[in-house]
Amino acid sequence: MAVEIGGIGHSVQRKEDARFIRGRGNYVDDVKLPGMVYLDIVRSPYAHARIVKIDTSKALAIPGVLAVITGKDLVPLKLEWMPTLMGDKQMVLPTDTVMYQAQEVAAVVATERYIAADGVAAVEVEYEPLPVVVDPIKALLPDAPVIREDRAQKNNQIWHWEAGDKAGTDKAFRESDVVVKQDIYIPRIVVASIETCGMVAQFDKIDGQLTVWMTTQAPHAIRTVIALVAGHLGLAEHKIRVISPDIGGGFGGKVPVYPGYVLTIGASVLTGLPVKWIEDRSENIQADSFARDYHITAELAAKKDGTMRALRVKTVADHGAFDAAANPSKFPAGLFGIVTGSYPFEKAFVEVDGVYTNKPPGGIAYRCSFRVTEAAFAIERLVDILALELKRDPADLRLQNFIPPQAFPFMSTLGWEYDSGNYAGALKLAMDKIGYAALRREQAEKRKRGELMGIGISSFTEIVGAGPSKHFDILGLKMFGSCEIRVHPTGKATVRLGVKSQGQGHETTFGQIVAEELGLPVADIEVEEGDTDTAPYGLGTYASRSTPVAGAATAVAARKIREKGKLIAAHLLEASPDDIEWKDYKYQVKGVPAKSKTMAEVAFAAYTNHPQGVEAGLEAVDYYDPPNLTFPFGSYICVVDIDKGTGEVKVRRFFAVDDCGTIINPMIVEGQIHGGLTMGLAPALFEEINYDKDGNIQGGTFMDYLLPTAMETPSWETAKTTTPSPHHPIGAKGVGESATVGAPAAIANAVVDALAHLGVRHIDIPITPWKVQRILKEKGVAE
Amino acid sequence: MRVQMTVNGTTKEADVEPRLLLVHLIRENLGLTGTHIGCDTTSCGACTVLLDGRPVKSCTVFAVQADGRSVSTVEGLEQGGVLHAVQEGFTKEHGLQCGFCTPGMMMTSVALLERNAAPTELQIRQAISGNLCRCTGYVNIVKAIQYAGTKLRETKAEREPAAAGRA
Amino acid sequence: MHFEGTADIGAPRERVWAFVTDPEKVSRCGPDVQSVAVSDATHFKVVARAGVGPIRTTFTLDVVFTELRAPEHAAVRARGQAPGSAVEMTNTFELADAGPGRTTMRWASDVTVSGMIASVGARLMQGAADKLTQQVFACIKEQLEAPAAATR
Repeated sequence: MAVEIGGIGHSVQRKEDARFIRGRGNYVDDVKLPGMVYLDIVRSPYAHARIVKIDTSKALAIPGVLAVITGKDLVPLKLEWMPTLMGDKQMVLPTDTVMYQAQEVAAVVATERYIAADGVAAVEVEYEPLPVVVDPIKALLPDAPVIREDRAQKNNQIWHWEAGDKAGTDKAFRESDVVVKQDIYIPRIVVASIETCGMVAQFDKIDGQLTVWMTTQAPHAIRTVIALVAGHLGLAEHKIRVISPDIGGGFGGKVPVYPGYVLTIGASVLTGLPVKWIEDRSENIQADSFARDYHITAELAAKKDGTMRALRVKTVADHGAFDAAANPSKFPAGLFGIVTGSYPFEKAFVEVDGVYTNKPPGGIAYRCSFRVTEAAFAIERLVDILALELKRDPADLRLQNFIPPQAFPFMSTLGWEYDSGNYAGALKLAMDKIGYAALRREQAEKRKRGELMGIGISSFTEIVGAGPSKHFDILGLKMFGSCEIRVHPTGKATVRLGVKSQGQGHETTFGQIVAEELGLPVADIEVEEGDTDTAPYGLGTYASRSTPVAGAATAVAARKIREKGKLIAAHLLEASPDDIEWKDYKYQVKGVPAKSKTMAEVAFAAYTNHPQGVEAGLEAVDYYDPPNLTFPFGSYICVVDIDKGTGEVKVRRFFAVDDCGTIINPMIVEGQIHGGLTMGLAPALFEEINYDKDGNIQGGTFMDYLLPTAMETPSWETAKTTTPSPHHPIGAKGVGESATVGAPAAIANAVVDALAHLGVRHIDIPITPWKVQRILKEKGVAE
Repeated sequence: MRVQMTVNGTTKEADVEPRLLLVHLIRENLGLTGTHIGCDTTSCGACTVLLDGRPVKSCTVFAVQADGRSVSTVEGLEQGGVLHAVQEGFTKEHGLQCGFCTPGMMMTSVALLERNAAPTELQIRQAISGNLCRCTGYVNIVKAIQYAGTKLRETKAEREPAAAGRA
Repeated sequence: MHFEGTADIGAPRERVWAFVTDPEKVSRCGPDVQSVAVSDATHFKVVARAGVGPIRTTFTLDVVFTELRAPEHAAVRARGQAPGSAVEMTNTFELADAGPGRTTMRWASDVTVSGMIASVGARLMQGAADKLTQQVFACIKEQLEAPAAATR
């Protein structure tokens, strides 16, 4: 029975695959409307410059070019600026000054895609270059050029955020035997999902209806933002429909509102025609939201027996020219406060300063759970540095310090209540599976022969599921989860969600939650998401929040249906509702299993034979306000071998033990972990976005920005422990980003471990062959 | 310029500008949107189709270069309601998540298995190294291709049992 | 990027001076120059094709002589725009007599490139700019030393 239902715990094959493997997905660039025209964007080659003149005449003279929009054109519409998700504002098009290379300067609308590109090449812009600021540390100096003339505060500091007990932490540091300190720079990267961003906007002049197909992870939030930003142009929320169709990967990169979207909507309102805008990969890499770019100074204080006591972290956060990070509004540094990690620090103090530079805006678009990637990297690197300092085995040091299982729920000194965890269990399993003791013996042997082999551990704690309404909102919108379920007379169900999958398999996994709760086969359950006309209001999918928040709403909505169904079952079974129990996916009379009704039978009765005094129909909706976040965790162990000739780091083995609480679909969870690990490998060894002193991006295409291929990616090995979340209706915690959070430190720790005996203590990621080779030469061991 | 080519077994004609890319001909003129565009430097492989049986990146081929030739896209894999072994493998082994790289990845896999019926894991990884995936981490894609290879060999053996017995 | 060099030219200083301060003449040594339009004694516009690696594009350069102290010192500033790219250059020339019919020219060039050429071509930039600069100054020397230079 359980297998046909396909409920929780079953590796049900994905329903979405049927269309994808046939090339029948419906991505934004697949949308084709009659009379549709194309928009393309002129972008600034300069990182900071005054616009002297824009000559659109040659572009307008090209047959097929319908319009060229510049900042001046947006001023009467009050659209040249738009609010960001962090309470700052961002230019849609500049009227005066460009602030970063690749910033949008003008938009060309044409009848054909190629003609729009011709138009872009024909727009002539004259610039007067201005001084460029690319170093956020220098940007904070008193004599630095002020980037944001539009702000009252005339310096480059955006905000200061801090948490913890500063005096208590300083005192703990003074009293400690050992202090280790490390500067850690986590460079800027971009998520580069294989589908770039884009939109088709269709404004109907007659009835004032705006329909947009958009690569967005949060369609309802977009609808509300459009209504607020362009309401004065006659766009009203009940006449706006945002459709997030199939999305080719999001990872946070499809949360922000890019100027291209606003321009596309504007162009459709202007021309009365459907307008399509699909960005190139170069534009996606050079202008869209980045991630990381954290300059961290981290210190850990401990007793000489290895007991970790206190943590002090100071960070300068490079945010580019506008603060457009999509964090919950009270958390400008996201959930960086999880930096105490898996350890019960008595005291900690964290401070982050956000800084403007002449670079594209953003901050959290790369599978990072709102800055948890940065926090986990910092603490897990520091723990290894402490181990090195104390000449302790890093696994041993961690096991000594972990928050013990009986301490949960655990309130961290930075104010987070961790729901459940068994950190030692995960690490021990990983050590066992990879053969840790044997690897250390092998390493000792190899070291004698001058071979460089390293073992790195990362025992991370994640924090996801934003979030309780008391503390979490984005632009004031609370971050509840939502689910609406309707069971039809023939026993089939339609489920609608306020989240939006970009590959995570919601059509299958959320169906499985309902299948489990209602005893309906998963094949009989249709899950819909992404259309604001039908889906209940939700804040979308990112930061691994769907299962913790919308998954909970789904279970609760299903249980509401089950409760009502009990009344109908009682009616059908001629028993009292108190004598009905839900057992083996059926309503049964207690003690008389033969007297039972399935949900399908109850559903039919809901429309044909409902009891008097009970409403007909069988549906429920739930808006779930989570009582807390959830805390998935894991332990990863990585084995590397370093080529002494080329400096290349080869990942020989990588074992990942993850604990995401209740697992809905093991096959899908596995896939999330494989993908997440690969997006942890990438920044650890390959990816970096750099700017020269003039603000030119170094690279900016896939020729220079290196995504791992099947050749660089190891055969990931995985295992699970299951420590359910005590506050979640089905005990699930979420897993989408855990592997990207945990993996980089495991790899970096392994490389440093391989070179530690030569005196190496830290290497900033990405650990490229060039960096390693320089170290090998310096230490006299290069071949 | 007038071009004529066979696309998934059917003759197609179009009047195109010389600069029109094959991927745009396929997606826009022919309406076959299963082939995707993921980059602008021939790096990602999402646009992979078979040109006279060989995998090519259709974003780096002009439509006019395909004149008189045969093009195979993902839409042509399912025949008579029966999925190609590669399509089946990708589903069974969870070799796709967002699905965007999948058509290109599958076309490369089809071509691989046609020239090497029993590739090793390394050979598989080498063959798909021109197809980027951000979602899956490649492990299940390798398994999907291995599944397809096994299935194709079994199907072939069933159809040609006599061949196995010949000296 | 900064480049500098010294050229030993077999021509008298006055002729060298005339050459490097004549927009039409000195533009002949620019890369793939398509046209030169002189606005006045010190301002002119040059359209030239240049590129690095896979990116070649057409620049429209506004050039102005900012300092002229005949026959020993000249400074020229050029600012060029192209679709997606931009270039800023300041060059200085110091001319000294090096004996009868010979001139020592010390030159310095500061070049800033922005946009697609600087991004996509980043890894090749230094080498390409180096090569280009060498070519330009070799050309100037060759033009000045050619026997019928005065009549061309």
